This record gives sequence, C-alpha cells and structure tokens, in this order.
Amino acid sequence: MKIAGWVSLALTVLTTVFAFQGLIGFSNQGPDWALLSDHYFYGILAFSVKQALLSAVCSVVLAWPIARALYYIPGLPARRGFLALCLLCFVMPSLVLITGLVALLGRSGLLSPLIISATGHEWNLYGLNGILIAHIYLNMPFAVRGLYQQLKSIPDSSWKLSVQLKLSRWQRLRIIEWPSLRGTMLVLFGFIFVLCFNSFATVLALGGGPQSTTLEVAIYQALKYDFNIPEALMLAWVQLLIAGGLFLMVSRFGSTGWLSVDTGSHEWKPRPVGWRLRLMKCGYYLVWGILLLPILALLLGFAEGDQLRLEWLPLIKPTLTTLALGVIAASVGMALAYSMLSPIRQFNASGLSRKRLVLEWLATHALVAPAMVISVGMFIFWLPIIDIDQWGIVFVAILNTAMVVPFAVQKLKPRLYQFDAQYGALARSLKLKGWSLWKIEWPFVRSVFLSSYALVLVLSMGDVAIFSIFGTQEWTTLPWLIYGYAGTYRIAEASMASLILLALCALILWLFEKAQSKHA
Amino acid sequence: MKKTLFAAALLWVSVPTFAADLTVYTYDSFVSEWGPGPKLEKAFEAQCQCDIEFIAVEDGVSILNRLRIEKRKTKADVILGIDDALIESARNEGLVQSHNISLTGLKQELNWHDPDFVPFDYGYFAFVYDSRKVKSPVTSLRELIESDASVIYQDPRTSTPGQGLMLWVKSVYGDQANKAWGQLATHTVTVTKGWWEAYSMFLKGDADYVLSYNTSPAYHVVTENKSQYKAAAFSEGHVAQIEVAAITKTSPNKALAQQLLAFLISPQAQTIIATNNWMLPVIDGVELPDVFSQLIMPERIGFSSTQVAKQRKKWLKEWRSSATR
Repeated sequence: MKIAGWVSLALTVLTTVFAFQGLIGFSNQGPDWALLSDHYFYGILAFSVKQALLSAVCSVVLAWPIARALYYIPGLPARRGFLALCLLCFVMPSLVLITGLVALLGRSGLLSPLIISATGHEWNLYGLNGILIAHIYLNMPFAVRGLYQQLKSIPDSSWKLSVQLKLSRWQRLRIIEWPSLRGTMLVLFGFIFVLCFNSFATVLALGGGPQSTTLEVAIYQALKYDFNIPEALMLAWVQLLIAGGLFLMVSRFGSTGWLSVDTGSHEWKPRPVGWRLRLMKCGYYLVWGILLLPILALLLGFAEGDQLRLEWLPLIKPTLTTLALGVIAASVGMALAYSMLSPIRQFNASGLSRKRLVLEWLATHALVAPAMVISVGMFIFWLPIIDIDQWGIVFVAILNTAMVVPFAVQKLKPRLYQFDAQYGALARSLKLKGWSLWKIEWPFVRSVFLSSYALVLVLSMGDVAIFSIFGTQEWTTLPWLIYGYAGTYRIAEASMASLILLALCALILWLFEKAQSKHA
Repeated sequence: MKKTLFAAALLWVSVPTFAADLTVYTYDSFVSEWGPGPKLEKAFEAQCQCDIEFIAVEDGVSILNRLRIEKRKTKADVILGIDDALIESARNEGLVQSHNISLTGLKQELNWHDPDFVPFDYGYFAFVYDSRKVKSPVTSLRELIESDASVIYQDPRTSTPGQGLMLWVKSVYGDQANKAWGQLATHTVTVTKGWWEAYSMFLKGDADYVLSYNTSPAYHVVTENKSQYKAAAFSEGHVAQIEVAAITKTSPNKALAQQLLAFLISPQAQTIIATNNWMLPVIDGVELPDVFSQLIMPERIGFSSTQVAKQRKKWLKEWRSSATR
C-alpha cells in the first residue's frame, strides 16, 4: 500500500513535469520576463485576485446561515434533495450554467426587467457581475455542504454543557460553533479561491472583454493565437506561485478543524424558535429557488425552440462515451487518491507535519496548476513520440483522471485522518494490517467514498478543455457535442444536449446519495 | 466484467490502422456530420479512387499550431481551413510548398495569385441584426461605433472574426483606432472567446448587432425559413476572410494533394462547401439557393497578409489597452 502510494504520487507529479518539459523544451526559452514590466500583466493579476477573493468571501459568508438552518431545523422539508441540488450546482458543467444564466439575466433575460426596475440602473450580466454570480452559484452550495457537515460533527456533550453553563446565544456561537467552523471555513475559502482564481470557461464566457481577464484566460490567449510559449510560461509560473502558495498556507493553518473526533450520536442540540426560525426557513426556501432558477430558465428556453426536429439517436454514443470516460477517470482517480493518502496519513500520524504538508500539496497540485498549460504541454511532449490521433482518447482519460485526483484527495483526507485519530492506535496495537484493517476502515469511509466518487465522476463528465486538445471525432463526448451543435447555429439541439448532460449528472448524484443513505 | 473490459481494451488497441492515401488536417465543424467534410470526402473519393482521411482540430489556428509542433514529423499532406491572415506565418515557418495548379477560374474580386495557397471559400465580416427589432440599421462602421446600439463581438486574440474586426477598425480609423475601440467599448455588451458564444447570445436577443458574416442570413432562410436576420452593409467597405488550403512541405503524395486542391475549386465541391459551410464560393457560376443572390456584396477593404503578419502584435496590444470600459 505504501509503495502504491508513492507510485501514485510520482505519476501525478510526472504528468505536470512532462507538461512543463514539453513547453520549455519546445520553445527552448524560459519565461518571458519582459511581461513583468507590462502594465497589462498587473491589470490581469489584480483582476484575477480581486474576483477570486470576492467570489470566495461571498460564497462562504452566504453559505454560513444556510448551513446553520440545515443544522438547527430538523424538520426542514426536502433537506436531502437540497443537499443533492447543492452538489449538482457545484459540478454543473459551466457551459450549461452559462446558458441558463444568460437566459435568466442576459439582456433579454427573464429576470432582467425586474432588476432594472428595482435598481433603476442599466443591468449588464457580462463583466465582474456575471463572473461573481456564476462563481457564487457554483461554489456557495459546495460551501453549504462543507459547513453543514462540520456543524454536524459538534458533539452533543458541547451543547449540553452550554446549557448547564447557561451560555447566551452569542456565547454559544463564539465558544462552540465558531471554533469548530473556523478551520473548515478557511479551507473552503482557500479551495474556492483557487477554483475561481483558475476559472476559465466562466470568465471567458461572462467576462465581457479584456478588462476582466484572469491569468488562466491570458495563458489560453497566449497559447491560442500567437503560440507565445514564453509569455504563457511566465503567466503559468505566476499562477502556480500565487494559487499554490495560498493553497499551501490555507492547508497549513486551516486543517485543524478536520480532526475533530466523531462522537457518533446526535440527539440534542438547541432549537431556534419564533422569528429566528422563520428567518432561517425563509433563507432556506429562497436559496432553493435561486438555485433552481437557471435550470428552469434552460427548460423554458428549450421549450421555446420552435423547430423540434430533434433526434435522440446521435446522442446515445456520445452519452455512453462521456459516461465511460467519467467512470474510468473517477475509478482510477479515487484509487490513486486513496493510495497516495497512505504515506500522507503515515506522516500525519507520526506528527511529521512539514513532510505531510509537502506531500499533500503534491497530491493536490493539479488543482492549482493551469489546466491549459498541462494539456498543451502534454500534447507537445507526446506528439512526436506517440500517434495522438489514435491514442488521444487515452490521454483524455489520463488527464481527466489527473484533474479529479485533487478533489478526491480533498474529500477523502479528512475522513481518513479522522479514522486514524479514532482507531489508528487501536489498529496498531491489534497489529491490524491489509485486509483486516481494510474491513474496519471501509465501513467508516464508505459514505464519504461513495459521495466523493459521485462528485469526481460528475466533475470529469463536464470537461471540454482537455477534449478540445486530445479529443477525436469518433469518441465525441456530450459536452463536446454541445459545443459542436452550438457552434453551427443549432441552439435547440445544444440545449437538448445540455439538458441530457444535466439530467445524467443529477441521476448519478441521486443514485449515489441513495446508496449512501441506505447505510447512513 | 473486468475480463471483458480488458479484452475490449486489447481489441481496441490492436485494431490495425490503415494509413489513408491522403491525410488532411482541418477544423472540427468542417468535418462534423452537418459540415461539408463528409460530402466532399465521398465526392472526391469517387473521383480519385483513393482513400482520404480528415483529422480535425479545434479551428484554423489550431491547424497551424499543430503543424508548428509536429514540424517535419507531420502526417498531414494537406491543410484545409486556415485563413488569409495566417498565410504569411505558415509560409515563413516553411510549413507548406507551392501547389502549381491553375487558378484562372477564380472570381475576379478575390484577385488571387498565391503560389502556395488555394482559396476554397470566403465571406465578408459583417454585423448581423434582427430586422424586426432594428428598423433603421446603421450604414457605416463609423455610424455603428458612434451609436449607442448594443454590440457583441469576438476577442481578436482567440477568434478569426474578432481579428477581422480589428483589421476593419484599423483600416477605417488608422491612427485613431484606439479612440474608436474606447468608444465601441461604451456600448459593447460583451467580447466573447469564439464566434458561437457571440452568435447564440445574439439569437437570444442580447444585443442589437453581432459580428458575424455577410452569409449568416442565408443559413436562417435556408434551414429555418426565417428572413428577419440581415447583415448591415457598411459604406466604408468590409474586410473579407478567405479560407485556404495548401500542401505541406513534407507531403510524399504531392500529385494526389494537387488533385484534391483542384477538386476543391471545382463547381461540384464549391456547391457543397457553400451550402454546408455557409460561406461564398470562390468561382463564378455555382448554382446556389436563391437567398445567396440577396446577400450584401460589399466592397473589399483591408490589409495584405504580409502587413497583418508584421503588425498584428502591435495592433492587438493597442486593442487590449483601449477596449476596456
């Protein structure tokens, strides 16, 4: 297991090394340092940081009251459905979300007249507005889930003690809730910041021009038309430095919260009453509505499509290809993540926190490495060596796997640390190893494993960036088909394919959620 | 289950690939089932008794980039789908060879004498509007830029129409281009990455004008029976985009490649291309749906591909610093 762990880590790191080697070797040049004296560079840097900061702060702050409502009100209707919807929002392919948002808030969007008459101002979705709305839509629900999970881990004994000590509402928040959430909030903040900092499709589609460009988009632009590798490398190193540095810092300071021991029993906690209860409920229903709106707008737009000469048959093979690629990426990705966590857990258990941090960073580095650079670099590296037209789909699978590994690691890590904290010593003293250890570990991680599997499966199914570089005609995926349809004026077919993709994602999440709850 | 999967994987890997007689690099939408590629392939294979294979990449720029990476190791015999603005880069990097075929049948207005590249379709960049919404459309680029009509266009760093507008503004405004960009930015809804994002937003009603082609209205008439979409004719003239094909420097099948290029400018291929790629034919006398005769046919302005290759970087920098709101 330990060797497998090191091998998995090496494979993940090698992918990135090959990619950079490809780019550096091809151009025979280092980064373009002259960019550092170009004020345009500082403009995009400032914008990247600003939008990511705003997106992350808003997502976490808005998620907090909703997570509290979920936690404190036991009889909340459709709670499970809400949590599933939260996950669906997080993994929603950006193309689908953008179509929905434009139908809702674009110039002729369903809600735009309302906004204009309410504020009295001209409303434009494109620009910082649109980027923030999309980023919050994608990430706030994710934060809700994270914070809710963390709240659930507050042991009953703390609440009982708070009653005995006659703590006020404010004191309970400060003494019990906040310390348990602090670490999670910081990690969530860092995670969302990095996701938004590296955001690509959303910024490209809703950015609205050169004034709202992020580093990732600038890398794409440098590689795309000019094939300006030195400029792309310079931008890539800056991005890696900032996003990677921040991520390292956050995991350094924010990881304590994960370690709280699970008490297993949840019987008593304070209940809100009166106007507080009503306010919480209102917030809950409001978010339900907000999250559903873009999806509804998509449905309406599809129904309006007047020429319903839609054929289902051509969609079957791409749908199956998408599923197959997703299953491969998710399965291999989960296996890699699980095994590379084994040396990391060992360092964690033996208190070697610096080593642990380095490995953690390496395991999740694909999250901060610019996806565009990795894909293009891999392409350049392998093109002279392998027949990419024949093997392209294999690369799609490999890179999709590399893309989901950090998510799998992020999700599995806290649960496994928790296992080690609770049962590690016992397992060691009983000399449990291999299969017998697995037998007690599996039931403990099962539900987290299943939910992570569903998450990475659906995440990898939405990819178009990697496919655009390695994809081949005969293995077209559903998201790629959406691009294809839309690119040739076939907007109605594009919405239909979008809806199928969304329904597929929803179905997968629902199935896994069901499998999970059976054993919960 | 594992065994079956493994067997299937082995089978897939070991399927022998028959190298085609001629390999053509082109862009995705050209070979999609509704694009001209499959029909062209059928027609040409019947004529040459050979097997041709299309390898599709994202777009015209990607074709060139792929060739740059592969250099002498490329499988491509023919590249099909880069545009006239990219010609000089491809030539300067030594990626193509001369075609040696006769270009006498080409339309006069193209004024085409290139020894390496053969044009196979073209179109004029144009602003498209919905005539039910815009009753009195603008008649010049200056009028559009000085108006307050909402506009969507594409990023010149990532799309060819965007680059077309850059050249258009440059040829109309010259040294004053930066002011024009600033003025346009005040009523620009958004600048998109590619053509489809812009066009689909426009179809949803998000802007009065969208940058597209003078041929776009033909699509709506022929396949959707909608005649409200029109291209605005500008008095300063329009910039054209000419899509070209060429034989790669390393091709071992030059004779067959020449035959393909000659076929591309034959009436049979031109009809297929025009009605499936929604661009104009490069020769006269091609039979086309009626609507093609109602398209605006503007005067052509712009720069030579040599000028573009030399100035593009400078003009891009000018655009990115002045097109901010």
